Amino acid sequence: MRVWLWRSAVLVVALAVWEISARMLNPMLYVGPSRLPAALGRVLSTRDLPPLPGHLWLTLSEIAAAYAFAIAGGLWVGFLLGLRQSLGRVYEPLLATLYAVPSVIWYPSLMLFLGLGPASKIAFGFLLGFFPVTLAVLAGIRQVPAALVTVAVSMGARPFTVFRKVMLPAMASTLAGGLRTGLALSVVGVLVGELLGARAGLGYVINYAYGLMMTAEYAALVVLVAVAVLLLDGAAALVEQRVKTWTA
Amino acid sequence: MDRLKLLGWQVLSVAILVLAWEAAVRWRLVDPLFVPAPSAILGVLRTTGGEALPRLGDTLLKTLLGYALAIGAGVPSGIVLGSRPTAHAVVMPYIVALYGVPKILVLPWIALIFGIGLSTAVLSAAVFALFPVVVLVAAGTRDVDPALVTVAASMGASRVQIARKVLLPAVLPSVLTAMRVAMVFALLGALIAEMLAGNRGMGFQMQRMALAFRAAELFAATVIVSVVSIAVVLFLEHLNRRLGRWR
Repeated sequence: MRVWLWRSAVLVVALAVWEISARMLNPMLYVGPSRLPAALGRVLSTRDLPPLPGHLWLTLSEIAAAYAFAIAGGLWVGFLLGLRQSLGRVYEPLLATLYAVPSVIWYPSLMLFLGLGPASKIAFGFLLGFFPVTLAVLAGIRQVPAALVTVAVSMGARPFTVFRKVMLPAMASTLAGGLRTGLALSVVGVLVGELLGARAGLGYVINYAYGLMMTAEYAALVVLVAVAVLLLDGAAALVEQRVKTWTA
Repeated sequence: MDRLKLLGWQVLSVAILVLAWEAAVRWRLVDPLFVPAPSAILGVLRTTGGEALPRLGDTLLKTLLGYALAIGAGVPSGIVLGSRPTAHAVVMPYIVALYGVPKILVLPWIALIFGIGLSTAVLSAAVFALFPVVVLVAAGTRDVDPALVTVAASMGASRVQIARKVLLPAVLPSVLTAMRVAMVFALLGALIAEMLAGNRGMGFQMQRMALAFRAAELFAATVIVSVVSIAVVLFLEHLNRRLGRWR
């Protein structure tokens, strides 16, 4: 309870400091929180900016597609490398090394190859989300106690039963964490792609507002997107928690 | 022998992949305008490499400055947050939330204030790297067993002695991990800033090559940056292990 009080106090102080410093500085560059609601209203109503709902919908579809591909690809590669240990030992180090490369350097090539449309965003979101899912599957498989699998098999369990009753519970919590990170990174990938070069989507609208020096509108959009991203991640965190309590 | 065999398989698979790629371009399964053949990339690697090195140096300088800022601010904040439970409970949710927000959203604003150039990229690198450092170091500091401190104090160790002999070795692994992780984030931040609002550096150059359809040069640049960042990360990992042994 006291902690919540302190947390709110920190938030209030931060907002106050932001507001006061914004008022003292150039209003073209610094936008205080008090100007955000009006700016958000203008974003939704103005004709200077592209209409938001369509762009929001496009961005959400790109994220959904990127994440779906990331899950499918990540699970497939993860289980392939994790269950066939000879393959895993050869290719897992290669994957881990690629993960050390700052991801954004792939984006210009994707943009060149797939163009400025949704495809390059989906591909980049997939690429970013793919790695945490794959690595989580690999880490999860390593957590499965080999003895339990042996026992289950020797007692006549079929492969699918072993998977469902022994492997899945043992790796579920790691897997859920990886899926959550994958979602966060797919979102980042799509947004980065839209900001670096697009003709539609939320990132494009943000760039547009910024390009016209509509700083208040830009700030309102950024806060809106940031809150949406946090809500999405919060929902993923709830699912992760549920999975953890289920397996614990 | 076993490790050698593993390496052999890895090299072989990469080689097959490159050959298949080359074949796909030769047989026009993909358009060389968009995806150049490995041989074409190899052909421009020398010239692109010559052009790229000073630009890469530019980017690495920005990365290092931002990295130093993030480590300098992030490690002390992480230690403070990790060692004070109340402050941790109050502030940490905000740090984690800020960590979760895509940093690229505020980049246009940073560019608006600091202009196109060095300071924007440095700040971007610092912003990208700061939050993982704070979170990792705070978590590492929290995990230090308080009994260690109590025992040392009850045996008459001074505060300085406790800090040097007990806390430092206990916190060090998380700091080293943070220092390794932060490097990739800082490099990412500098490159994104250059792509979004830059007039020089590797990120800017790559973005320009993409928009000018200079595919072979772009792929060569991508290869160069990948190799350099992998080398940096491997070096930091090596350093990590060396320092870890000291503990």
